[in-house]
Amino acid sequence: MNLEEIHKLLRKIDYRLIKLLDERMELLLKLTRLQQENQAASDVNGFQDAEKYSQGLIRPEFYRRLYREILTESKKLLDRDFKLIAFQGEHGAYSEVAARVWDESLIPIPCTEFTEIFEEVEAGVFDYGIVPVENNTGGQVNQVNQLVLGTSLHVIGAVELHIHHCLLAPKGTDYRELHSVYSHTQALEQCRQFLARNKLQPVPYYDTAGAARMIAENTPPSAAAIASKLAAELYNLEIIKENIEDFPHNITRFLIFARQPRNEPGEKCSIVFSTEHKAGTLFRVLEVFARRGINLTRIESMPNLRGSFAFFLDFEGDQNDRPVKEALQEVQKLTTDFRMLGCYNEKRGQ
Amino acid sequence: MEQLKLAARNARKKTIVPVKQVRIGEGFVVIAGPCSVESEEQMLITARMVKEAGADMLRGGAFKPRTSPYAFQGLGLEGLKILEKAGRETGLPVVTEVVDPRDVTWVCEFADVLQIGTRNMQNFALLKEVGKANKPVLLKRGMYSSLKEWLYSIEYILNAGNPHVILCERGIRTFETYTRNTLDISAVPAMKELTHLPIIVDPSHATGRVSMIESMSLAAVSAGADGLLVEVHFKPEIALSDKDQQLNPRQFKQMMWKLRKLVQFHQQLAKQKSPRGET
Repeated sequence: MNLEEIHKLLRKIDYRLIKLLDERMELLLKLTRLQQENQAASDVNGFQDAEKYSQGLIRPEFYRRLYREILTESKKLLDRDFKLIAFQGEHGAYSEVAARVWDESLIPIPCTEFTEIFEEVEAGVFDYGIVPVENNTGGQVNQVNQLVLGTSLHVIGAVELHIHHCLLAPKGTDYRELHSVYSHTQALEQCRQFLARNKLQPVPYYDTAGAARMIAENTPPSAAAIASKLAAELYNLEIIKENIEDFPHNITRFLIFARQPRNEPGEKCSIVFSTEHKAGTLFRVLEVFARRGINLTRIESMPNLRGSFAFFLDFEGDQNDRPVKEALQEVQKLTTDFRMLGCYNEKRGQ
Repeated sequence: MEQLKLAARNARKKTIVPVKQVRIGEGFVVIAGPCSVESEEQMLITARMVKEAGADMLRGGAFKPRTSPYAFQGLGLEGLKILEKAGRETGLPVVTEVVDPRDVTWVCEFADVLQIGTRNMQNFALLKEVGKANKPVLLKRGMYSSLKEWLYSIEYILNAGNPHVILCERGIRTFETYTRNTLDISAVPAMKELTHLPIIVDPSHATGRVSMIESMSLAAVSAGADGLLVEVHFKPEIALSDKDQQLNPRQFKQMMWKLRKLVQFHQQLAKQKSPRGET
């Protein structure tokens, strides 16, 4: 092993130490929410065990000191009233980018599955959850819309995120040596022409940010990832090329859910309903909005569990505006399973 | 030169090379910028200044084919990123040199025109590679090359499938040592007779002397060139390469004013009838 290789490994270890401490802190935050009280101190035992399997050069006294430091810092952080927002994917996912656009003061916490987000916001582990509902090139996110049908949560905000894909590789990589590119299939698809032009082999991976993380941690030879600029920062990767998407207009819309509805005035509303299986029922609903000049921004149908169809409808306006109020009263009479998902503001970001 | 199936003028219409909003071969196009991309600050400031002075496109080198391996070799990928940013900010299309066939597709991702430098005019592997690219090629004349050799290099690019070639006369080596090279201004009308492609002049490398750039640029207009490739640096005295031949923004602005006047004069001249008995 030469000097350079040793330096490289040392940097890798430092990177892992920091990422692990971050992860530890996130778990503690979750733990305290589940226990409903601050019992973070109880995980001290784990540290004491660590002394048993520590070996070699470092004295146990050092571990104790280090752990005390970590615990003190953890307690300090736990005392602050953080608001947590759950997103699906690894850190650096586009959902996290959207969460930061929505409110930078929230702490984004990664979840593996969409269901986890809804369940844990409902259970009070997280204050908010952010999920993608539609993309202008990829269409609806069906799995999320199914979950929205079944949830008791309320929509309290939305973000329209302009998706810009970046080609990322570990720092110091020679771009001419790149051969394979890891990312989520949708991202690979959206950069298909770019990859073909540069003779790069697409390799499907479960997540964009997960691919970035894997590239950073495992450094497979001649490999790059497609992910967000945020992922480049978080995993210390070099951005070989920004904006590699084939079509410049690539927008994903996210909804933010919470247990309580928002009470302030909003600029947009989302509702969901079903109609009887008869000719013209949906038309009569749409007519209610048309007559009052209310602009619809989204209409989507989705099979529900009872074998009929649910319709998602978004429109412009505040729920307390008189025309909106009247329209909603009228629509409730024309539909079944009507539910107001929320009245909220929408933000735009890159 | 009957083997020049694609480069020869013959009965072909004059080729116009579109580069974003610019059409090379129509009017007089000025491409300006530093010899090398040295830093984001240097490139962005220079880019804004040349745009303000009326340049149509930006130049800047990220890969520098230097005589000495110890001289500044360019910023590489970092330089390409800076160039792209300068182009985006000013709205000017970007020209940059490519020296390695493996870089061609990558340079296409960042720049609008690929430049083949004088030392690579007969690098046939590189010519074939840029011939496959989806961006126009600016082909400089080799410093020891005859017009015939230049024509065959053009043929390589056209034959590989890229119809958009811009020629650039940049001076040739002669026994004269006062100037860096000798500007062969007669190459402009000669290549116009021989090919259908637009040709521009690089007065910076041709002379290597700031004091001579303006007069050679004006000569290029009068010789019928389609444009200029000229080196401008926001502070030439601190430039990492070619510091003796880069104009400062004030000199460039002054030159642009005269160029514009001369271009207008020639346009008016073209509309007027010559006196009877003379052509």
